[in-house]
Amino acid sequence: MLAFLLKRLAALAPVFLVVSIIIFMIIHLVPGDPIDSIVQIGSTPEQKAELTAKYGLDKPLLVQYGLWLAKLVTGDLGEAIILRQPVSTLIAQNLPHSLSLGTLALVFSTVVGIAAGAVAAIWKDGFVDRAVMGLILLGSTVPSFWLGLLMILLFAVQLGWFPVSGARTWSALVLPVLTIGMGGVALVARVTRVAMLDVARRDFVTMLHAKGVPAWRIQLQHILRHAMLPVVTILSLRIGWILGGAVTIEYVFARPGLGSLLITSLNQRDYPVVQGCLLMLAIAVMLGTLIGDIVQAMMDPRVRERMS
Amino acid sequence: MRSTAKALLLSGSALLSAALVSGVVMAQDATFVMPSREVGAPSYNPIKGTRLNAATTLIYDRMVIQDADQSFHGQLATSWETTADGMSWTFKLRPGVKFHDGEPFDAQTIVWWLPKFKGTENAFMTDAIDKVEVIDPLTVKFVMKNPDPNMLFNMASSFMGVPSPKAFDALGDRYGVSGAVGTGPFKLESFAVGQQTVLVRNDSYNSASKLSTNQGPAKLKKITIREIPDDSTAFLELKTGGVDMLLSVPTDFLPRLSAERATKVVTLPGTEVYYMPMNSSVEPFTDVKVREATAFAINQKEILASLFGGVGAEANTFLISGLAEAKIDPKFAISYDPARSKKVLDDAGWAMGPDGVRAKGGVKLQVKLWTQNGTEFKRVTEVVQAQLKAVGIGADITIFDAATITAQYRKKTDHQLAVRVYSWANADILDWFFAAKRAGHPNHSMWVNADSEALNEKAMKGSRNWDERVANFRAYHENLLSNFVFAPIYQPVQNFANADARLSVPAAVRGTRLQSQTIVDIEKK
Repeated sequence: MLAFLLKRLAALAPVFLVVSIIIFMIIHLVPGDPIDSIVQIGSTPEQKAELTAKYGLDKPLLVQYGLWLAKLVTGDLGEAIILRQPVSTLIAQNLPHSLSLGTLALVFSTVVGIAAGAVAAIWKDGFVDRAVMGLILLGSTVPSFWLGLLMILLFAVQLGWFPVSGARTWSALVLPVLTIGMGGVALVARVTRVAMLDVARRDFVTMLHAKGVPAWRIQLQHILRHAMLPVVTILSLRIGWILGGAVTIEYVFARPGLGSLLITSLNQRDYPVVQGCLLMLAIAVMLGTLIGDIVQAMMDPRVRERMS
Repeated sequence: MRSTAKALLLSGSALLSAALVSGVVMAQDATFVMPSREVGAPSYNPIKGTRLNAATTLIYDRMVIQDADQSFHGQLATSWETTADGMSWTFKLRPGVKFHDGEPFDAQTIVWWLPKFKGTENAFMTDAIDKVEVIDPLTVKFVMKNPDPNMLFNMASSFMGVPSPKAFDALGDRYGVSGAVGTGPFKLESFAVGQQTVLVRNDSYNSASKLSTNQGPAKLKKITIREIPDDSTAFLELKTGGVDMLLSVPTDFLPRLSAERATKVVTLPGTEVYYMPMNSSVEPFTDVKVREATAFAINQKEILASLFGGVGAEANTFLISGLAEAKIDPKFAISYDPARSKKVLDDAGWAMGPDGVRAKGGVKLQVKLWTQNGTEFKRVTEVVQAQLKAVGIGADITIFDAATITAQYRKKTDHQLAVRVYSWANADILDWFFAAKRAGHPNHSMWVNADSEALNEKAMKGSRNWDERVANFRAYHENLLSNFVFAPIYQPVQNFANADARLSVPAAVRGTRLQSQTIVDIEKK
């Protein structure tokens, strides 16, 4: 297991390097630069050039990347050009908000998704199955920002149960969590349903029925348990999505978080902050994948052998 | 069992008490929403910052402030005078003023403050001042390098909020982010960029201007100013009681707000102008006839009525109509005249084609029309496109985000027409947007012309007093209008909305924007 873990960790290093190059190049190749946000509109080209040089943005792109990477390996994400604070401080201020939102959304999509998938599988082809599958289809196709606006109109404006936006009370978390979680519910429920139907066709289930084990016990104690491997895999892969999934929703609900920071900084082309935020998201995805691999390996020795 | 019940009861009572107490505190507090265009302003450093938000004037007082009619009134300065040659200004300072950190405000503060602008992006506001002389502890004299009739306007800018020297020097580069200390009616309690600013009342406040009814500390004890980037979300927050006031409301929201009985809307003359620069360095806009035809194709009245429900005003010059420099000879005003537009194009050889787009020498009059993302921009641009088509000018719209469009302008020759808006209440915007040295951005018209440059130079540096400045800028303004380097479109008003049941806002807003002089008079009902 240790060899497996070390091998997987070593494989992440080149991925990290490639991701860092992509992140750096993408934001620098997009038109616009941060200096336009810090010069007065009446400034002359000479004044702009002076500031461009001050922040090292006049150097060749590869040199700029090298300087950024050199700092990065020491854990220094640099200083925000416009926000004038260390990027690590900005991320530390915003990350907890995104983590709490993403974690709760993951828990919500896990619990509701597994329950919905199990119910649909147990009453396959019946009314309940069709209703659940219809909701799943809706959940997976409706854009999350639009769903968020609908939730605001219904639960905040019409019913007045929750605040429209912000992060000042716990209740302000409910609508964003539901909005982000709905996409996850659809995915988890679909995987759970398919996996349970697949397990239900196996010989040992027929034998359990023959032995007279009650149907509810077969479904919950045997089929659902065996169907959890693909579900756990999917959930592990979605750990990385915890942060990334919240980007647009934080904007819709005017919540603090990595997504809001990323959008604000992107609009102003604050390169160091954008790079830092994107790096955090990429690391979350990489860690999620790693955890997914580990969980799979723990649950299935064949995977461990194949990958070690 | 009994002890559990007792514990539950005690906890419940404690929670109830806490809720009641917090309810009492909340009753003295108010929550505002910052104008969406100011979301993300990174600091409260008025000396070095280039983007400040609405809370700035609550933290800092300025020497001078402006009323809605553009007149100037003392705040930290009680009176002022200038010499006939404009080479010196003397300001009497308000006695007994202290910064939030207890430091005194006096003549030495001014001696420390003004040189701090040197080398910053805001240096242009103090460039004309050679040195500051202390006459007595409450009197300072600005000795000028050259006359600057715009001195009072500059002194009234948000960037001229006076910070505490002690706090400014102590915090260094962190000033404005981790702390900001002024003499204003509110102290900065916390600031999370892009999220919210929390201000608490300065109970020692004694520098209110004559524009405020309340001459003492502000009536509100605490103001939380939230940054909500989406105007719809901000509107819903006001509707559901999540916030008490919106510091800016887009004009297209007014019908919805008017339908809300619990909401009161206050309107102020605007400081914005929508306009369409024409790139005079690229075909076909190198030809003044094409520029003239394009300018007279814009139907300002239709845009005002159909897009903005008649709220605001037509723009017929480059400046907001409240400025004296906007009072030009009427023959230079640009107002919808389709017959003139068509005739000029006919005379210039642009014949109408079967597809409704003119052509000359096999080249179609089909141009690029750029705009920024945002509902209002898109709607105005679409109407402009239709109006140009009506006289035979085809226009293809491209939408950019703000950062990208600026980079595109800097390429100088990629753009032809663009729909833009600026916000500024001074004629020096003409220098910013049409001086040859700024061709590309923000001189999007790429206007480089010797006569215009001479008039600009005279207006910017050759005026000894306010009247001369007005006359010189008027001449420069007329010159630009006669060269048709832009088409004026629309002047919005400023709208504020508050929950009428919760907040009492003065009927008349004193100032060019909703600033400290009015906010100190706002109270919770």
